[in-house]
Amino acid sequence: MANRRQSKVADGAQRVVAKIWEIRRVLVLVFAYLFLFVWLFAEGRDADIRPSEILAIPNDPLWERPDSEHWFGTTGDGTDLFELTRIAMATTVAISVVISGLGVGLTFLYVMMFSFDPGERRFTLLKRIGRVIRLLPAFLAPVILAGGAGGGMLVTGLTLIVLIAFHLAPTVAKWFEEGEGGQGIQAGYVLGLTRSEIVTNRVVPVVLRRLIGVFACLIPIITLVEMSLSFLGFAGDRLSCGDLVAHGQDVIIEAPWMAVAPGILATAVVVILSLLGWFSSTALKTGRLPRWI
Amino acid sequence: MIRYVLHRLIVFCIRLAIAAIILMTLIEVGYCVFGGSDTHVWEIAISEDLDRVFPDGEFVPNLKTRILQSSFVILIAYGGTVVVGYAWGILGARLRRFRARLILAVPWTIFACAPAFWLVVCVAVFSFFQWKRPGFADDLVVETGPDILQWWNAAVVALPLLAVAASWQLRAVAGVLEKEASQPFVTGLFLSGYQDEDIFHRNIAKRSGKQLISLFDQTLPVILGGLIVSEWAFHYEGMGALAVDAVKSASYLGIFIAGMWSAVLIGFAEVVRELVCQEERRGA
Repeated sequence: MANRRQSKVADGAQRVVAKIWEIRRVLVLVFAYLFLFVWLFAEGRDADIRPSEILAIPNDPLWERPDSEHWFGTTGDGTDLFELTRIAMATTVAISVVISGLGVGLTFLYVMMFSFDPGERRFTLLKRIGRVIRLLPAFLAPVILAGGAGGGMLVTGLTLIVLIAFHLAPTVAKWFEEGEGGQGIQAGYVLGLTRSEIVTNRVVPVVLRRLIGVFACLIPIITLVEMSLSFLGFAGDRLSCGDLVAHGQDVIIEAPWMAVAPGILATAVVVILSLLGWFSSTALKTGRLPRWI
Repeated sequence: MIRYVLHRLIVFCIRLAIAAIILMTLIEVGYCVFGGSDTHVWEIAISEDLDRVFPDGEFVPNLKTRILQSSFVILIAYGGTVVVGYAWGILGARLRRFRARLILAVPWTIFACAPAFWLVVCVAVFSFFQWKRPGFADDLVVETGPDILQWWNAAVVALPLLAVAASWQLRAVAGVLEKEASQPFVTGLFLSGYQDEDIFHRNIAKRSGKQLISLFDQTLPVILGGLIVSEWAFHYEGMGALAVDAVKSASYLGIFIAGMWSAVLIGFAEVVRELVCQEERRGA
């Protein structure tokens, strides 16, 4: 009878394939994100473009209507508007990723400050702050701060990071409370594990997994907020889709595509990011998040 | 009951005071700390400050007009959100085996992904070039007869906000009902011979009442925040546009008025929700 034991190589390969199959959804999402980001950040012209320079209208404008060569038409100096919008969206998405990541990180640190307290009402202060913050529309804070500071991404970014932390902290605190209420956790206490061990080894990994879903869901929202702020003129002299639409409004009679076309790509990118965010949060079982901005 | 109402009203006043303090802090930090302005919040000259946002000097009539204009927008956006969110959400939960919640939410969610400012600009461009009629809200003023144009303008500003709020509300309502439908008692009722409709309407919906009511004011801050950008983009003279004008012209009082108007609406909705939920709890 032949020896049916598999070789080490075959056994290892089988395990790798099984693991890949187990995380197939995550892999599909990672590839989808990579594909989107590679396309957005593909080598093009210099990304450090000042909209006041490139969108200035010359005496003899060279703009062309959208056609097969220039899908979105051209600007006053003959620049391809599609390429310009792609660069603008790449900048906006990059900023959104950074803000969302830092916001989620700050939320986690903020909740962790309270989570080791053994008291039943340890999250009361955090939840009260969350309720107080909700008294005003969240969008008003970056508008006032960025507008007052004369525009600038640093102020806007910092404001949004703090807003994310304050608004999402009550939800994350609820996850901590839910995580500490399971039968497995009670068994851990009975077996003599310390509170610190239980929180660190049992509750935190679950919360961290859900936070990745939160991060993915936040990106399209922050992208929209960043575009809105730049449309209002509060994001400084930096190329953004909102800024392109705002400049397009000045020439709405002569070249209406300047205001209309950039939004098409922006909407498409936000739709894709939202879908990916939704798939990520479903795969990671993040649950329903409050709509705060 | 009266005692409870008075208690909530006092809490409402305290919340407004806190909102006022937050607003003043934001203005001070934004303009003086980050912006390097020499004028502090406590040093403003009221008339000079108001002249920046109301140059014609008529403060009260102008403010009334702006509040009225924004009320139309909120009526459409918030009213539509409540109607669509609850009706479609309940329908989505009722047809949960077909995943109707997701199917019904798709059009609103895709609509919500479009930037609000871009949508209203597109409407203005389309209106001007295709229909040969005024584009932005300030292009034409109706002097005689019924002002239908005002409702059109309000609807244009409100629709992007309605999409954002309704997509969330719909999923939230359906989510609450579906969570209740996954409870073990539903299987028990089904095995006892209850009809699907009976289980859903008389048990699931009834038991989720309080949670459903608690969702009704959740979208208001989002709508009021979105109002700021969509009103300004469509040149619509409302409170959202007042906030942007005031921020751009460094009118502290203008910002304060626009912010407090939002806080009053949000706080009032919260009081109503608390009162209704209390009644619901008592009834249960």
